[in-house]
Amino acid sequence: MAKKGIPEWLNSSLWSSSPPPPPIDDRLLRNPPATSVTPPIVERPPLSPSPSAISTAPAPPLPARPPSKSEINDLQNGTGNDGAGIDSPAAASSVEDVSRKAQVVAELSKKVIDLKELRKIASQGLPDDAGIRSLVWKLLLGYLSPDRSLWSSELAKKRSQYKQFKEELLMNPSEVTRKMDKSKGGDSNDPKIESPGALSRSEITHEDHPLSLGTTSLWNNFFKDTEVLEQIDRDVMRTHPDMHFFSGDSAVAKANQDALKNVLTIFAKLNPGIRYVQGMNEILAPIYYIFKNDPDKGNAAFAESDAFFCFVELMSGFRDNFCQQLDNSVVGIRYTITRLSLLLKHHDEELWRHLEVTTKINPQFYAFRWITLLLTQEFNFVESLHIWDTLLSDPEGPQETLLRICCAMLILLRRRLLAGDFTSNLKLLQNYPPSNISHMLYVADKLRSK
Amino acid sequence: MSDDDERGEEYLFKIVIIGDSAVGKSNLLTRYARNEFNPNSKATIGVEFQTQSMVIDGKEVKAQIWDTAGQERFRAVTSAYYRGAVGALVVYDITRSSTFENVGRWLDELNTHSDTTVAKMLIGNKCDLESIRAVSVEEGKSLAESEGLFFMETSALDSTNVKTAFEMVIREIYSNMSRKQLNSDSYKEELSSNRVSLVKNDNEGTKTFSCCSR
Repeated sequence: MAKKGIPEWLNSSLWSSSPPPPPIDDRLLRNPPATSVTPPIVERPPLSPSPSAISTAPAPPLPARPPSKSEINDLQNGTGNDGAGIDSPAAASSVEDVSRKAQVVAELSKKVIDLKELRKIASQGLPDDAGIRSLVWKLLLGYLSPDRSLWSSELAKKRSQYKQFKEELLMNPSEVTRKMDKSKGGDSNDPKIESPGALSRSEITHEDHPLSLGTTSLWNNFFKDTEVLEQIDRDVMRTHPDMHFFSGDSAVAKANQDALKNVLTIFAKLNPGIRYVQGMNEILAPIYYIFKNDPDKGNAAFAESDAFFCFVELMSGFRDNFCQQLDNSVVGIRYTITRLSLLLKHHDEELWRHLEVTTKINPQFYAFRWITLLLTQEFNFVESLHIWDTLLSDPEGPQETLLRICCAMLILLRRRLLAGDFTSNLKLLQNYPPSNISHMLYVADKLRSK
Repeated sequence: MSDDDERGEEYLFKIVIIGDSAVGKSNLLTRYARNEFNPNSKATIGVEFQTQSMVIDGKEVKAQIWDTAGQERFRAVTSAYYRGAVGALVVYDITRSSTFENVGRWLDELNTHSDTTVAKMLIGNKCDLESIRAVSVEEGKSLAESEGLFFMETSALDSTNVKTAFEMVIREIYSNMSRKQLNSDSYKEELSSNRVSLVKNDNEGTKTFSCCSR
């Protein structure tokens, strides 16, 4: 077999699990025995629920170990589970994991946090302990400044700003005009002056009324919004249907759905060029989930507003992928997918050729979802949180990191892909098999351009 | 060694499912391809893909069925999905009239992007929800007639007509193709623009045919 065009490290012992029989299956390839090499990224072992320095609250929101497929019954990955994807070389690495947690905690307790250092630690994956990820993501997304002493005032400001957005943007036009009148007319508009018994009613002006087609018409925009709102509503209802946190008729699920709807609606109104695009709910969901499960009740109570600003921040790096007008530009989704294709060609030309020339698979057919939804649909929920730790912390920025991870995903399946035809390859890539995430991130890291 | 799995005389037809968001496109496909239904299925982002085979005249006919995202934003990106499609299911939800009103836009979309004649069927899905029906059977029928489409109401939930609908489209494609094959020489010139990949292997086993709806 010609191995031309493949970087040296691809042929390293890491890939062909060193003990005798060469791996036939990708799964073996993706799970190098922990004994043969020392993986730079350590598997996450079961963590003893040690008291966190950040918070002393009980009940960690996430399973404190790699979830088995039965715990998070992810729809995407629920089929064809080989069960071999996520076992961890437990005992050996738990020490390192505990020490990594200690590192994070130590960094977070500094008066002024060293973001560079924090990124370095976080890119190795964060412990699933309650509270840590919530705080670290806020720092990585720039929502909290590194200086702890500023946190309370910053948070208070942002949270009140969000409250204002809610009041201004989630009301219907009658409420808006009534409020505008009130502030304009001051006391003269006092309902007490109106004839007794009459319900106060908002005045319908010539400039604006429910049948107005004017572009500045609040009413016209209100009706245009309805379509968007219905779309948001439908998608929020089907966000993580397998998780009680998001789905079902419980009061908790309902409240969480309302929060997601509010955030997406406000985002859509503040960003008229993009509004709401299907799939944004999937990007918001992990952020909100992490914040809402913060053991610090004070933070959890403001999960919605914190998630809003962090979502905006995250989207600022990816919004162009959602923008139809930019589809054919150098910042749009098509070009982003082309960059993935070039990256694969650069690192593994044989595989690139097989996929795009021989089996004629347009990378859009699988990478569109991978990229626009930041890999939230390809792995189970907890695994995608680990991927996001790396996405958010890599100093090269989320987009570059994402493309490297996508490229690693392809390379890790190279044997199966090289043996596959159009149909089997596309099915494989649209239903990415259960994988060892740490190893995948390790491989992605190796793809970094020197 | 890897690229000619599709050898032999089998037929492979590409079919697309289009229509507004949340009309049940994905569930129609999983009902047909895997006999499954998921009441809480997620929104499709980009495209998904299934294959299903049936036997016609003793020949195996494979349908490669593409399920696309419903939201308008994705249309520019999904144009590639229409390429080579020889069949289409245009789906609306009988309980939401806006999805029916948009059928025309989907047909335009299909006509713009498809590079060949396409066997089309209009599908009114969710016919199990009779109590909240918003589009009558007659409305569906008459639209289908005026546009020259097959028509059927289906329920991915209780399976009504799902298999029948897909198989009807597949049979139509097949019969168009066989008819054309008989006359292929005389039609070749005239129909050279209506090309479709009749996949024998993954190379350009291209034959020409035309198909008319009914």
